[in-house]
Amino acid sequence: MSLNPNAKVVLEVKDLKTYFKTDAGIVKAVDGVSFTVREGETIGIVGESGSGKSVTNLSVMRLIPSPPGKIVGGEVLFEGEDILKLTEKEMREIRGNKISMIFQDPMTSLNPFLKISTQMVETIRLHEKHVTKQEALKRSIEMLKLVGIPSAEKRIQSYPHQFSGGMRQRVMIAMALSCNAQVLVADEPTTALDVTIQAQILELIDKLSTKMGTAVILITHDLGVVAGMCDQVCVMYAGRVVEKALTEDLYARPSHPYTEGLIKSVPRMDTTKKGNRLFSIEGQPPNVIDLPPCCPFHPRCIKAMEVCRHAYPPIKDLGNGHEVACWLYADEATKAKALAEANVEEKAT
Amino acid sequence: MFLKRNKNTNAALNEFAQVVEGNSLGKDAWRRLKKNKMAVVGMIIVIVYSLLAATAMFLPIYPYDQIILDHQHLRPSFSKTAGELMMETRLEDLYFKAWRAGSLVVTEEQSAQIRKWIADNETNKVWDFCYTEGERQREAGLFTFNSTDQRTIDRLQEKIDTEFLISVDTIIYTDLESGKAKNLAKMEFKEIESIYANLLKVDIAVIEKQTLDEISNQVLNTLKAATPGLTNEEYALNLEMEMDALGEKGIASMAKTNLLGKVKTTITRSAERDLRSEIRSGAVEFPLNREITVNEVLTAKVSATKKHERQYFLGTDYSGRDMLSRIIYGGQVSIAIGLVGTLTSVLIGIVLGAIAGYAGGKIDFFLMRFVDIMYGLPYMLLVIIFMAIFGRNIMNLFVALAMVSWLTVARMVRGQVMSLKNSEYVEAARSMGASTGRIIFRHMVPNSLSVIIVYSTLRVPAFIMQESFLSFLGLGVQAPYASWGSLVGDAVNGMTLYPWKLIFPAIAMTIFLFAMNFFGDGLRDAFDPQSKNQL
Amino acid sequence: MTKYIVNRLLGMIPTLLIIITLSFFIVRIAPGGPFATERNLPEVVKRNIEAKYHLNEPMIQQYGRYMFDILRGDLGPSFKYKDYNVNYYIANSLPKSIVLGSWAMLLALVFGISAGIIAAVRQNSWIDYLSMGVAVIGISVPLFVIAPVLQLFFAMKLKWLPTSGWYTTGEGWKTVILPAVSLSFAYFANIARLTRSSMLETLRSDYIRTAKAKGMKSTTIIFKHAMKGAMLPIVSYLGPAFAGIITGSIVVEQIFRVPGLGKFFVQSSFNRDYTLIVGVVIVYSVILILMNFIVDIVYAQLDPRITYK
Repeated sequence: MSLNPNAKVVLEVKDLKTYFKTDAGIVKAVDGVSFTVREGETIGIVGESGSGKSVTNLSVMRLIPSPPGKIVGGEVLFEGEDILKLTEKEMREIRGNKISMIFQDPMTSLNPFLKISTQMVETIRLHEKHVTKQEALKRSIEMLKLVGIPSAEKRIQSYPHQFSGGMRQRVMIAMALSCNAQVLVADEPTTALDVTIQAQILELIDKLSTKMGTAVILITHDLGVVAGMCDQVCVMYAGRVVEKALTEDLYARPSHPYTEGLIKSVPRMDTTKKGNRLFSIEGQPPNVIDLPPCCPFHPRCIKAMEVCRHAYPPIKDLGNGHEVACWLYADEATKAKALAEANVEEKAT
Repeated sequence: MFLKRNKNTNAALNEFAQVVEGNSLGKDAWRRLKKNKMAVVGMIIVIVYSLLAATAMFLPIYPYDQIILDHQHLRPSFSKTAGELMMETRLEDLYFKAWRAGSLVVTEEQSAQIRKWIADNETNKVWDFCYTEGERQREAGLFTFNSTDQRTIDRLQEKIDTEFLISVDTIIYTDLESGKAKNLAKMEFKEIESIYANLLKVDIAVIEKQTLDEISNQVLNTLKAATPGLTNEEYALNLEMEMDALGEKGIASMAKTNLLGKVKTTITRSAERDLRSEIRSGAVEFPLNREITVNEVLTAKVSATKKHERQYFLGTDYSGRDMLSRIIYGGQVSIAIGLVGTLTSVLIGIVLGAIAGYAGGKIDFFLMRFVDIMYGLPYMLLVIIFMAIFGRNIMNLFVALAMVSWLTVARMVRGQVMSLKNSEYVEAARSMGASTGRIIFRHMVPNSLSVIIVYSTLRVPAFIMQESFLSFLGLGVQAPYASWGSLVGDAVNGMTLYPWKLIFPAIAMTIFLFAMNFFGDGLRDAFDPQSKNQL
Repeated sequence: MTKYIVNRLLGMIPTLLIIITLSFFIVRIAPGGPFATERNLPEVVKRNIEAKYHLNEPMIQQYGRYMFDILRGDLGPSFKYKDYNVNYYIANSLPKSIVLGSWAMLLALVFGISAGIIAAVRQNSWIDYLSMGVAVIGISVPLFVIAPVLQLFFAMKLKWLPTSGWYTTGEGWKTVILPAVSLSFAYFANIARLTRSSMLETLRSDYIRTAKAKGMKSTTIIFKHAMKGAMLPIVSYLGPAFAGIITGSIVVEQIFRVPGLGKFFVQSSFNRDYTLIVGVVIVYSVILILMNFIVDIVYAQLDPRITYK
């Protein structure tokens, strides 16, 4: 489960910014997010609700509803090409074909009015025009077998409402992988499912992606899921990546107080003594409209300093690709400079 | 930046000094409504209309039921008086006749044009042309009317100059012996009776008998209008019952009204006689207010205006009634029926829907089966039958419409109550031991209120449309009362000749319905921003 | 499926019974009768007439006789137009009303759905504002205002179309246009608004996002994925729309002098022509109930989640 630095980079997100215009002001849902996905690798994106993880990935797919949303800056390089600059038609050829996506709620993500066969066959034939209907159907049945749908030949002619939630998510996975995608974006694929089904689905994603060599971006708020599946983790807070590391690194050496809090707040059978209360991060994530320049985590942070209240922390590389955005790791000179600048600005206003 | 934020000490702040505003649903909805320009305009228009309708009695407009047959079908004009328009109409007619007779000479092409217009049924154009051409020639001295026509014109001119309308405001009776003055309208029937008998110098008994006969006739006529098609025996029986129901007091008050009317007529006649001779001598200025004395004991305040100096901004209808005031009073009827009808149907709907939703079980089943069946019915047809057979008055119309229009509200409220009954917060309230009453009034009602308000607002125009639909068919409001629907219905025949009769009520109605719909849409969007632009 | 249809058809019987009973008694309970206006008839003649139409029998007996006649398909003799049977009148006028109503419905559906879809797809564009503006007019302006105004403008001023009449008046299909257009206007408006909002809502749903993520073209998404779901509210609106068109045709037939069923209906109500009133109501109700039934079947066909039970 260690990262292979020589593997080809498939997807690179650089300083991505996606803003939403609302009545109350501009919501900076994603504000300068960067990460790299290599071939065959699984990357986890973790964060609370509203931290911008889903918006990041919808931006990668260019599926942000516009208006009100807009990608205002950054690059998304897929195989070296900036897909934010592609035409809609070129983008359509990437969606579902090279990058595919599965969504949180399998109950509503499949079209209730169309048979599973229609929905699967159309995906294949959309991207591989030479495939006949029969062939596509055969391949769809194989995919369904692969994801573990019993008597797939018969079930493929059913409508989505005739499947259970877990089965529907399997269908979604089959559909997403039916075109040999290079990147699979899984947006909280197990949140809406029963706990027992969750493990099965994750295992399935893990197994299939390894088998097909697909890179996976797994969006979740569940650290346990990340620990089991991912090679690399990005922790997001208020639209920014606060810490990024290899999974083992992150668990061994959580550097950002937020990550630390997150890890501590997962109940554990082995270390927690009986009678100890579970750790929790006090407070609420901020409203990302008109956020003042500061570390967005500072009100909830137990290690907050004066400088945290006045400037956004710089990103510090702790080695081995472990990056963290926190003032704790900045040297005194930088802090003093930032404080001085903030004071000047405040006086001006 | 921070300092500026912190100044607002009253507002709640979070850790980032971001202002956290508390928002109630109503406040939030109001804010959203204010943003919707069309809805605000709609609201203002609705308010203006409602004010106009409510204050119609006090507006300086002619009475809506006053028939002046001379003023039939006058076109709308801001500059010309009724007299001028009457003269114009007469002249149009005379010039046209003159063209026919060949005394008004026009070119060949013009004649051909006129004949084409006639063939095409474009009477208005013919008249317009004849009038302008005739006036031009007469001024240039090329054309003169023959003596008969000239006499007609002169007679009309005299009529326009001299005719006037008298209204008697108050009549004061002065007792000759005690010298006390009393308002006649506030006196008892018996006293008025004797005064009137004195006035006419006849026996009281004769007056009394005549009055009673007239009253019973009046009752009979209303009976006949309300339920047509009975035999004479049945009417006689009904009449007896009605009179019994009225009782001594009722009859006395009717008799008093009757006699007061007669006294007024007598005074008006005598005043008219006096005024007419004065006008001939040219000594009167209009408008005029004066007191006249009749028979030494009666003094009346009389005001008179020139009959043909009236101005009809929106024209007149087939019996010379002012369209402007008919439209305003018609609006009064339409809006009132719309509001009261909606209120009634919503109340019925809320009660039945809440019962069905809350009680469930058999009650729910039967109520909803009934609603289903009614839904499957062409119920407007039943309303039409009902109106045609049970007589056309506002009350029946109202009952018939309210009876069938509660269905949707009942269904909606039932759905709301059922879903709220199982909602978490109601269950939470119940688990904390809240009583049924508290659950209904603190939780369910406030939470369904917005839906009901929005629905009711959108229901008002629908109700007005249904009422107007029936009135249009001649099944609703009857003259002299009007509603927008009956005005349009009256105007449809002859709309090429008198388009204003159709256009103005149609515009008045359309603007109101527009405003109401925009306002309702705005309210819905404000209360429930998720369901934008849904029906 | 067959069982469902049979059940539904059987379920119509009580509804029809209620309608017949209700209209039968409403017309008879009211004071006065169809011959009351002919006051000067001698008593003997009157009694003879009443005996001829069985009006002298007790109400229940009349009701029973009427129900029996209906079972045989006989709607009875007209009380006012004495030489003819109600069946004859209905057979004569119903086709005209059906032609008019069908055209109105067709126009409303075709133009309403297209306008709604275009407005939804090009949300907040001029075409959206235009079609929704027209739709608001359609909703706010009552039929009996639209119809005479169209008549005044297109028939009397511009003379493009005949003012009134029906096929028989020699102007052929042109006579249908104005009545059908005025009748359809309100339903066009409602359907356009419904289509727009339900299309917008469908386009926001998760499965449309899935289709987009699959890389489908937006036209394919609209017609293949969104259409069925977006049409459901329109299908359920069709029931009330049919009822509205039936009542609306009464006004339109009066204004454009179409010799259809609606014109007869108002006349017969005024005349208290018992059998004709009840006959017309029965015919209208049967049409409406059948339409609602068809609408339900179509709905179930569209939505696979609904099973026949």
